[in-house]
Amino acid sequence: MDAKISNVTPPDLAPLDELLRVRELERFVTRELELLDGRQFEAWSDLFTDDGVYWAPSRVDQEDSQTELSLIYDDRELREMRFLRLRHPRVHAQIPHHRTTHLVGNFVIDEIDEESGQIGFHCHFIMHDYRPDWDQRTFSGRYDYRVVRDSSSFKIKFKKATVINCDAMHFPISIPF
Amino acid sequence: MTIAVDLRNFVQPDRVHRDLYEDPQIFEMEMERLFRRAWTYAGHVSQVPKIGDFLCTTIGTQPLVMTRHTDGKVYVLHNRCGHRGVKVINTEQGNAKLLRCMFHGWTFRANGELAGLTQPEGYPPDFNPDPVACGMPKVARMEIYHGFVFVSLSADGPDFKDYFGGVLSSLDDLIAYAPEGEVEITGGLLRYGYPGNWKFQADNSCDMYHVVYSHESSRKGNTQYIRRPGDTGGIPFFDKSNKVVTFDASGLWAFENGHGWEGAVVQSHENTSKWYQEYEARLEKQHGKERTRQILTRKRHNTIFYPNLVIQDLNMHVRLIRPHRVDLTEILIYPIKLKGAPEEMFIESIRMLNTTNSAASMTQADDVEAFIRGHAGLRTKDANPWVLIARGDGTETPDPAYERGYRTFGSSELLLRKQYQSWLNLMTHGA
Repeated sequence: MDAKISNVTPPDLAPLDELLRVRELERFVTRELELLDGRQFEAWSDLFTDDGVYWAPSRVDQEDSQTELSLIYDDRELREMRFLRLRHPRVHAQIPHHRTTHLVGNFVIDEIDEESGQIGFHCHFIMHDYRPDWDQRTFSGRYDYRVVRDSSSFKIKFKKATVINCDAMHFPISIPF
Repeated sequence: MTIAVDLRNFVQPDRVHRDLYEDPQIFEMEMERLFRRAWTYAGHVSQVPKIGDFLCTTIGTQPLVMTRHTDGKVYVLHNRCGHRGVKVINTEQGNAKLLRCMFHGWTFRANGELAGLTQPEGYPPDFNPDPVACGMPKVARMEIYHGFVFVSLSADGPDFKDYFGGVLSSLDDLIAYAPEGEVEITGGLLRYGYPGNWKFQADNSCDMYHVVYSHESSRKGNTQYIRRPGDTGGIPFFDKSNKVVTFDASGLWAFENGHGWEGAVVQSHENTSKWYQEYEARLEKQHGKERTRQILTRKRHNTIFYPNLVIQDLNMHVRLIRPHRVDLTEILIYPIKLKGAPEEMFIESIRMLNTTNSAASMTQADDVEAFIRGHAGLRTKDANPWVLIARGDGTETPDPAYERGYRTFGSSELLLRKQYQSWLNLMTHGA
C-alpha cells in the first residue's frame, strides 16, 4: 500500500506532453486542497479509492507505516471517524475551529503506468494554519501521490504528506496537511 | 527568590491554589525539589539493546542520557561534559564506542568515566583527571523494574519500593500480557505539546470524570468509537439508566506518593480477529487456561507513576510527561510491544495509537484543549484562586490486595488528592 514512488527514474516525457500532464495533476491537487480548506471533508475523503490511504509520517525518512507510529495513517474507516468527529457539535478542540490554506508547487511526475492508469508524482506544499487566539502556524513539506484515472479525473490511491518538522513537538493539528 | 509563601497554605485537603499551575517560581522549585527527589521514569532497557547504544532523555529540565556499557549494564548519566559542562550527546539516540564532547574533544565511556582528555601536557602536574570526577556524572540513584528504568537525581529521598508501593503491580501485570513475559519499547514515538502546566496532564491521567464531557465528539450512540477492527465493543459512556457514568463501577485505585490507576473500562480485549485467538493460544501454552483467563481480565486503564510516567493498558503505550516551562509541556508517546505476541496485534495497536495519541489525534486533542483552557482560565487572579479536587472525598477504603492502596469509585478525585499530598511532601521536605 505504501507505494514507494520517490526513487523511481522519472519517465522521459516530451516537454509539451509533460506540461499537459503536470497541468492536469496540478488542477486535480488544487481542487483537492480547496476541499480541505473549504472544510468539505467528506468530499475530500471521496477523492480516495475505497482502499485509498492518507499518510502523514512522524519521521521524515519513515518508510514503515504499519509497525511505526504516524501523525496520521487513515484508511477510509479512520477518515470517516475523523470527519464524523469534526462535524460533532461539541468538538471542543475545534470551537473555534482551525482555518487553513494549502499551497502547492514543484510538480514532478515519477512514474506512469499506462496499463493500470496509475500515476506516481510528487510536489511540495505549504500549509498555513490559524486558530483564533493561537499563533498562526506554517507546515511545509512534500506530497507523494499515487493516483488512478477515474473517467475525466483521478482518484487517490495513496497520499503521503511528509512535513519537514513532523518529529517536532506540535500543538494539536486538526486539518490534514 | 521571593517565595516566602508557605506552600502548605497552597495545598488544602480538597483544593489547590492556582499558583501551582501558573507561577514560574513554583515551577523552578518543582524542578529543584520535586523532580529531583521523586523517582522518575528515564526510559526502558529495550531502547538501548546493544553495547554502545544511547538514548537522550530529560528529567524535569535536566538533560540525561541512558547508555549500555561494555559490561552489558544500563547507565543513566547527566548529559554534560566533565570539562566545561557542554551537552555531550546531541542526537536523540544512536550508538558510539566512546561519547565525545564536540567542544574540546574529551571522551567518555558509556558508564560515564572519562576515557581521555585532549592535549594532557597542558594541564598542571597536580591536576588529577580522575575518571569519575572528570566524567559524565551518573545519576544519584537508579532502579530497573521489569526493564523500566527509574532514577532519582537526589542521593537522599524515599526508597524506590517505598515510594511506589503497590502501584508496581501494574508493571507486574503488564509484562504478564506478553507470552514471553517481557515487553519492549519500539515502533517510534509521537510527541505533542500544549501551552500549559505539566500537572494538567498528570491530573488528567486517571480522570474518569471528564471522559463523557471532554470526549463527547468521539462518542457514537452510547459508546466511544470502536478502536480496532474485530473489537466486540467500544467504551460505554453511560449505564442503562443513561445517567450514571459506567466508569464509576470500574473503580479508581490510589496510593501514597500520588500513584494510582483507573479500573479497566473494558475488562476483556476480546477480538474476533485471528491474531487474537493466536495470542490467547500462545498465552495458554505458557500459563494454562486458568492463569490466561486471569491475565486477560484487564484490571487497569491508565496507571500513573507520579510524577512523569503514565502507562496505558488499552492502546498499550508509555506516556512521558516532560515539563519545559511553567506554561509549556511536552508529552511523548512510546508504543509497548508484547514479546511473543502476534505481530498483527502490534500493528493494530499502532493503528489506533495514531488516532488516539498523535498531535493530530481524534481524542487526545480534547484533553489538550482542556489543558489549554485550564491555563487560560487560571490566569484569573482577582477572584477565586482555588482548583477544587473534592469529588469523592471520604469514600475511599483501603484495598488489602495492594500495599498502601485505596479504592474508590471511578470518577472520584481521590488520586488528585494523593498527588497533591505527594507534591507538598516533595516540595517541602527539609524546609
